[in-house]
Amino acid sequence: MTEELRIGVFICHCGINIGGVVDVPAVVEYASTLENVVYAERNLYTCSSEGLEAIKSAIHEHELNRVVVASCTPRTHEPLFRATCKEAGLNPYLFEFVNIRDQCSWVHMHEPEFATEKAKDLVRMGVAKAARLEPLEELTSDVIPSAVVIGAGISGMTAALSIAKNGFYVHLIEKGSEMGGLLRRLYKLYPTEELAKEFLEQRIKAVEEHERVELHLSSSIKDVEGYVGKFKVILDENGVEKSIDVGDIIVATGAKELEPEGLYEYDGEKVITQLQLEEKLRREDLNRNGIENVVMIQCAGARGEVVKYCSKICCMNAIKNAKLIKEANPDINVFIAHNELQAYGEEYELYYRDAKKAGVRFLRFPLEKRPKVRKSDGKLVVDVFHERLLMDIPLEADLVVLSTPLVQNPDAEKLSKMLKVPLGQDRFFFEAHVKLRPVDFATDGIFLCGTAQGPKDIEESISQGYAAASRATIPLAKGYVSSEAIISSVDEAICVGCGICESVCPYGAVEVVETEEGRRAKVTGVKCKGCGTCGSSCIKRAIKMQHYTDDQLIAQERTAFVTEREVVS
Amino acid sequence: MKEEEVKIVGFLCNWCCYAGADLAGVSRFQYPPNMRIIRVMCSGRVDPVIILDTFLWGADGVFIGGCHPGDCHYLQGNYYAEKKIDMAKRLLKKAGVEPGRLRLEWVSASEGERFAGVMKEFTEEIKELGPIKFEKDEMEAACIAAADYSLRILATKEKELLEEGNKYGEVFTRHEMDRLLDDMVREEYEAKRILLKLKRPMSVKEIASELNLKPNVVFRHILDLKRYELIEAHEIRDNTPTYIAKVEEGVE
Amino acid sequence: MEDKAVLVIGGGVAGMQAAFDLAEAGIRVCLVERTLSVGGRMAQLDKTFPTNDCAICILAPKMMDCYRHENIEVLTLSEVTAIEGEIGSFKVKILRKSRFVDEDKCNGCGDCARVCPMGILNKFDMDLRVRSGAYIPFMQAVPLIYALDRDKCMRCGLCEVICGKDAIRYNQKPEIVERNVSAIIVAIGFDPLDPSGLTEYGYGKYDDVITALEFERLICAAGPTGGHVIRRDGKEVKRIAWIQCVGARDTRDNRPYCCSVCCMHATKEAILTKEHNPEAETFILYTDLRCFGKGFQEYVNRAEDDYGVKYIRGKPGEIKGKENKILEIFYSPSSDKVEKLEVDMVVLSTALIPSEGVEALAEILGTELDEYKFFKLKDPYNPTGTTRAGIFVAGYCQAPRDIPECIAHGSAAASRAMEVVLGGSYDRRA
Repeated sequence: MTEELRIGVFICHCGINIGGVVDVPAVVEYASTLENVVYAERNLYTCSSEGLEAIKSAIHEHELNRVVVASCTPRTHEPLFRATCKEAGLNPYLFEFVNIRDQCSWVHMHEPEFATEKAKDLVRMGVAKAARLEPLEELTSDVIPSAVVIGAGISGMTAALSIAKNGFYVHLIEKGSEMGGLLRRLYKLYPTEELAKEFLEQRIKAVEEHERVELHLSSSIKDVEGYVGKFKVILDENGVEKSIDVGDIIVATGAKELEPEGLYEYDGEKVITQLQLEEKLRREDLNRNGIENVVMIQCAGARGEVVKYCSKICCMNAIKNAKLIKEANPDINVFIAHNELQAYGEEYELYYRDAKKAGVRFLRFPLEKRPKVRKSDGKLVVDVFHERLLMDIPLEADLVVLSTPLVQNPDAEKLSKMLKVPLGQDRFFFEAHVKLRPVDFATDGIFLCGTAQGPKDIEESISQGYAAASRATIPLAKGYVSSEAIISSVDEAICVGCGICESVCPYGAVEVVETEEGRRAKVTGVKCKGCGTCGSSCIKRAIKMQHYTDDQLIAQERTAFVTEREVVS
Repeated sequence: MKEEEVKIVGFLCNWCCYAGADLAGVSRFQYPPNMRIIRVMCSGRVDPVIILDTFLWGADGVFIGGCHPGDCHYLQGNYYAEKKIDMAKRLLKKAGVEPGRLRLEWVSASEGERFAGVMKEFTEEIKELGPIKFEKDEMEAACIAAADYSLRILATKEKELLEEGNKYGEVFTRHEMDRLLDDMVREEYEAKRILLKLKRPMSVKEIASELNLKPNVVFRHILDLKRYELIEAHEIRDNTPTYIAKVEEGVE
Repeated sequence: MEDKAVLVIGGGVAGMQAAFDLAEAGIRVCLVERTLSVGGRMAQLDKTFPTNDCAICILAPKMMDCYRHENIEVLTLSEVTAIEGEIGSFKVKILRKSRFVDEDKCNGCGDCARVCPMGILNKFDMDLRVRSGAYIPFMQAVPLIYALDRDKCMRCGLCEVICGKDAIRYNQKPEIVERNVSAIIVAIGFDPLDPSGLTEYGYGKYDDVITALEFERLICAAGPTGGHVIRRDGKEVKRIAWIQCVGARDTRDNRPYCCSVCCMHATKEAILTKEHNPEAETFILYTDLRCFGKGFQEYVNRAEDDYGVKYIRGKPGEIKGKENKILEIFYSPSSDKVEKLEVDMVVLSTALIPSEGVEALAEILGTELDEYKFFKLKDPYNPTGTTRAGIFVAGYCQAPRDIPECIAHGSAAASRAMEVVLGGSYDRRA
């Protein structure tokens, strides 16, 4: 049985802000003539405690089951009025807001008659919508209080350890046989110049010793299903299949160094990458081989050569290695051929100055004329174009070191499909928002950190590791996730399972599933953010965007200039 | 309220344009009082059917306000809005209504002054066009066509077809896409016009002359409509078969 | 349960992120903000690089979420004056200055501002616009509660008369409140350097030499000129140059560091100028172009190729004013050459320096600062840990970083504070 509609309308004077332009008593009088309106009143300030009390008592006294407030903007005051309705025992979604200040009295100050007419129209539209409002509930679902971190490089280790310290169980999954990631291949770290090995050993020990971290080495992800709070991750651990149930997931799969095949006479012997140089430095190879001249080439393969982006860390890494060579043996000449030097921030700029003092020579080339490596009488020569002299400077080199960019791991594509999270144009994982959500994915419950998101140094990878830990701890600590009440829903009787809704949903909230009746779209409430694009795209108009239903919007637009009675007739 | 005022309905997204309209208010930027605003969470929510229905119910202009490209709170909703509004414009044109009566604008939350400026401009434009005129049948046909699955698929899939290609891997050029859209819109609109005509029994010839279409075109549509069980044969009149709509299909 | 709370000092993006994460995890937070509104420096920006997202549009919902959160107590116009205790149990004294407005009653209608006869330069608009004595710093301020500028107020009483909510309190007294917390996060951000002292740039001498943050207000649609880039004499700007590293990477005032964000910031401002007026000519004079972040190189490419922004390598020696408000920039593309560029507006990308009062706060907190007054890390690879256990640092006040890095840093500090509150891992060695 449909209940009788009993709508109460409250019109706010907002002091003189509305009342000074709009004829509020006339609007109240008009409102009381509208279909289904059983009560209308005006308040000096509806948002004041007196105003709120008036709403509550009217709900009881007049048995209101819908409330319309015409005042300022829902963007600031809707939560207040919803809470008031709730306090009076009315479902907060049976409340409708009409803006007659910001979008009426304040913008038509010199046309009070028109402003009053417009206010009446807006109230009429609000009442028409209110008549069609349905009670909604915020759904909650439980969270399994543990997390999975994929990748045991420095950021993944940091994230796992911090979640464990926050009191939750963590599965740390590493495809290799050891933790440490790219850091294992470094000799010393900038700017402290401590040994990467020692640094890493301490960190590994801390992770290994923590009772709440469970390490899965030599493990790969086979499949992932579920949603925030309830993920099931299927692992292949040393050939054995395992299934792990967790509340959320952190992607920390890292990056790799670009192989400069075919660039700058790269051979891995005399022309090597920075990581290969780190290895030589660790073995103190340079002195033994009688090397006198080292030339480093920056942006090798980056900034438009192979990849478009700047890899952020290569300048500092080159400066560090150059400085270390120079300090170990001041007789070795070290040149860094660079374009823009990314010695950003506080410490790196200073470190760069130290390297200059240590005797490292810097030569700037224009990006359009990158250095060339050639062989002359069995010796390597690097021609670096000098911007001022407008000619090539030939530098003899016993060793050429290419500073190549970090690039995405080839298996990232597979993982991105499994998790349904996107990769960007640069192939790195693409965060939810470039500015505001650096370690979140748009999909709730999945986070990212470290070089999987883009090139970054150790400090920043650690910072992001902690950040992802914080984000991932939230649902675990809360113990539940709540969905928006305003979500879409599918009428399975109409749905044909075409999947167009799935293709437009940025949150993976609508999916086509097999049902007894065939393929049907299904909304996972906790994932839906309520934009409604699925509804307006549905080819059968089978999706209802709650609180902004077709029915409600049509009622509003149809009553914009005529009354509901005229619409019905 | 003496003078003849034009009527505009605006659908504004909560995060950008609605906030921009609020800012116009807070800053007291004055603009004409012709528009009635309806708040939606995302411009991507606005369905072409609802837009056309708004015209059907007497609006002289319809305004959609969303976030600037790239700013969408829901990542891509405004992109889909753009395609849907493009579709609605094509249908408006079919119904003999100036597509300029429908306007999509990106207004950010900080563009209060711009919102007021856009309001002035749009109101002026609509005033210039004057009160809306259309044949009810034609606008209804446009509405029903917008609700039809084929146009809805096309409006949503446009990006994919332009960028990634169809199921056969054929990537469409902008020009090809436009042609496809025009063809499909014409087809659907004609079909819906015929469907609406068939509220009473008519023959192919009668429809053709009333709608100013070629009989073979009408016949093709009749066959399609029959196949989808939207119409049925009514009776043979003077050796000519007549048809009638099976169930009344309305907007709602 | 009283001590299971966290104090966050500073309501900019880093501080808000830290507070929000903690609150969402069920931890009570006291967020202390020195100004009238949360939002920090980001709220002053028009757009953000490299996506040209509208700053206030994306920030305002975050400010609201933070302010409304049931676990967050936002104390605006407040400063920390003393702390006692140690990790796990700090006792904090906070000075709440007076707004002279009853926070519970004011509904932000702004009637008081409209009747107030005073005209005062608005700091939020970089002194480019006048506000009244009863004010909010900007329209989207959170909380939307007005304040009286008591220093300038002449007690005419008009605001009290007009206020329908009876919210004006001329005799409101400042108060000291105390909070017990387990951990503290400092996120007090930065100030732009006042370039008046660097006389070669002519700031203060020539009307149309402005700072990058002033430019942000100029180009903002809600700013003092409604988003029009105009000279002080009201004429449209035709040729405009950005000068990088003003007061930064400069050993004169012991500021050798790079501020990390200005190359991209200038690139964004140049792009916006071009978007507003494609006819305008834009130049960026730089030393090293630092475009190292995600999507930055691509952004610079777009600026150059699609918008025609001209990047010139060379540091200006001097700026001179000519007739008709023309500004001549003398710069050296190399050590042996001096060239001249004529423009009608110069934007100085000034150094961004630790906030005013940072030394006093560090003193109160008992934490060390480094040589340049950034909060010092105990361990450089533990990027939020200050020299005192239980006190963490987030955002630009630790070292130069851009918005997403500040936000990640804010979350990172939150996780460290969670370790203390949720995990109870009290490592007194910091």
